[in-house]
Amino acid sequence: MVADAPAPASSRQRGAMPSVRPRRQREEELLVWPDLVFVEFIAALIFTITFVALAILINAPLQDRANPANTPNPSKAPWYFLNLQELLIHMHPALAGVIVPTIFLVLLAAVPYFDTSNEEQGRWLATPRAWPNLIVGMTVGFVGTWLLIIYDSSKHIVLYERFSVGSEAFRVWPPFMAEENVRTWPETLNWLKSVRALQTDINWHNDLTGVPIGETFIRTDLLGLPRGSIQWNVPAWIVEQAIPIGIMVGLPILLSLVAWRTGLARTRRDHMILLISGWFASWLVLTVAGTYFRGAGLELLWPWDVYPAES
Amino acid sequence: MATTERPQGQAIVDRAYEFLVNNRVWKSIFRIGYPNTPRNQMLAVATNVFLHLHPTRVHRTHVKITHTYCLGGLSFFLFLGLTVTGVLLMFYYVPSVERAYADMQALQTDVRFGMMLRNTHRWMAHGMVITVMLHMMRVFYTGAYKPPREFNWVVGVILLVLTLLLSFTGYLLPWDELAFWAITVGTNMIGSDPILGEVNQFVMIGGFEVGQNALIRFYTLHVIGLPLAAAIFMSVHFWRIRRDGGLARPL
Ligand code: HEM
Repeated sequence: MVADAPAPASSRQRGAMPSVRPRRQREEELLVWPDLVFVEFIAALIFTITFVALAILINAPLQDRANPANTPNPSKAPWYFLNLQELLIHMHPALAGVIVPTIFLVLLAAVPYFDTSNEEQGRWLATPRAWPNLIVGMTVGFVGTWLLIIYDSSKHIVLYERFSVGSEAFRVWPPFMAEENVRTWPETLNWLKSVRALQTDINWHNDLTGVPIGETFIRTDLLGLPRGSIQWNVPAWIVEQAIPIGIMVGLPILLSLVAWRTGLARTRRDHMILLISGWFASWLVLTVAGTYFRGAGLELLWPWDVYPAES
Repeated sequence: MATTERPQGQAIVDRAYEFLVNNRVWKSIFRIGYPNTPRNQMLAVATNVFLHLHPTRVHRTHVKITHTYCLGGLSFFLFLGLTVTGVLLMFYYVPSVERAYADMQALQTDVRFGMMLRNTHRWMAHGMVITVMLHMMRVFYTGAYKPPREFNWVVGVILLVLTLLLSFTGYLLPWDELAFWAITVGTNMIGSDPILGEVNQFVMIGGFEVGQNALIRFYTLHVIGLPLAAAIFMSVHFWRIRRDGGLARPL
């Protein structure tokens, strides 16, 4: 092991104090020139060739001159922000545009201050249970994000209706729908059409759609100003803020908890791998959905409907 | 000063080597002979300002491609490539609403290799976003953020943000529909924050909608502000890798 490597010869205190950082074993080391410089040179060469080839083969897009009067549909941000644009479809714009990315970046930067163990650093997924946590995290993130997107875009309705009335092949399966009459989504379940349907398809009492917190809580009149007139729309707040925050905070915690109780994740490193892998997958799904699955009006479509072949 | 060490070789190679290396010009530039002995190899790294980013020796496992996939190095390489192609692009581009789009067209049609120059810059920019993300994933999955490298991970996150901002500010410059609406959508996202959003958006684009003020702001940030910041944080990043004892490896 490296830990019992000899103390530096120059210190002349053999056996006195072990140096804080173990001395490297010289035999384990290679010279940067040529070994590393060679690898770097080859990598740079491959990248140069790749990008020259790309530049020859594919032209950067240049559309018509910008015209503020003519909004294209859909209009999209650059691809690496389409994940945020995808979030924007599902929640309050302040959450998606500012709060979520900010909090996320802070949490990302805080990872090393949370997971302070030194176990097996510097080797690929070398801690025990690293791979299972990665796979579970990525799978949950991938499947979960797609399911949420599909639900909020009401595609489960489409699926349901296709299964119940669709082609001959579908009519016999699933068996409980085989018979007549299961044609459209039952009206009593309209509030399950999407998250937004919770607000629009439930008869909320007027008292709840306009709670006058400006009059009750924010007493601007005490400062000699006119009384505030802020109306709190509870159903909108539930749909745009409470549920998204609940999902974004709650599901990772739930995942961590389940992993902890089942013994999948025991150390902080385990939990980090689980959650960050989940995030990577979720981020990827959001980006891909925003890029390839959002057409006019940002509706969820198949990629071949978003980018029809003729264009 | 130092006598040149050199290995045994065939006479012709020997003479060529002698001719190339044993003269005042070579020595004035490199100070040492060709790095074909351990001593010269270490000196080659230690005395060269560019190679000096490296230590003279590295651990065996870190030279393996599969340890880093060179992703950090390639991000840096792309940054350098973007700087070179970006400087060339600046020769042809004027950041004015009246001229920007026409300049892009002229670059593509009238300038020799102009289209290729623009393509290279664009694909390298996308490439850098991807390599930086992959680099972050490799650092994460090798557990290389653990003590004593916590702070370098934080510097990394800042570099990630800078990379995205560099790419985002560059996106507006062609002033075509794609550019205009992508930036409009992007800055609207920032503007949608009910508390500070409007102020932030106003400061970012210098007005209520994307126009000349936004263009000059994005341009200035893109060609000088953000690259400078990125270069500074990259220096810190590389310096810290050396200070933290090279790349992480099992204790
Ligand atoms: C412009 C962007 C970046 C550049 C040019 C860059 C460059 C580098 C280079 C050249 C290395 C040496 C090892 C390697 O190639 O993997 C490195 C290591 C490292 N990078 Fe980055 N990096 C960038 C972004 C990031 C990001 C986004 C993170 C994390 C959030 C990060 C965290 C680290 C850490 C912790 C190390 C030490 C790894 C170890 O000890 O094995 N860097 N970086």
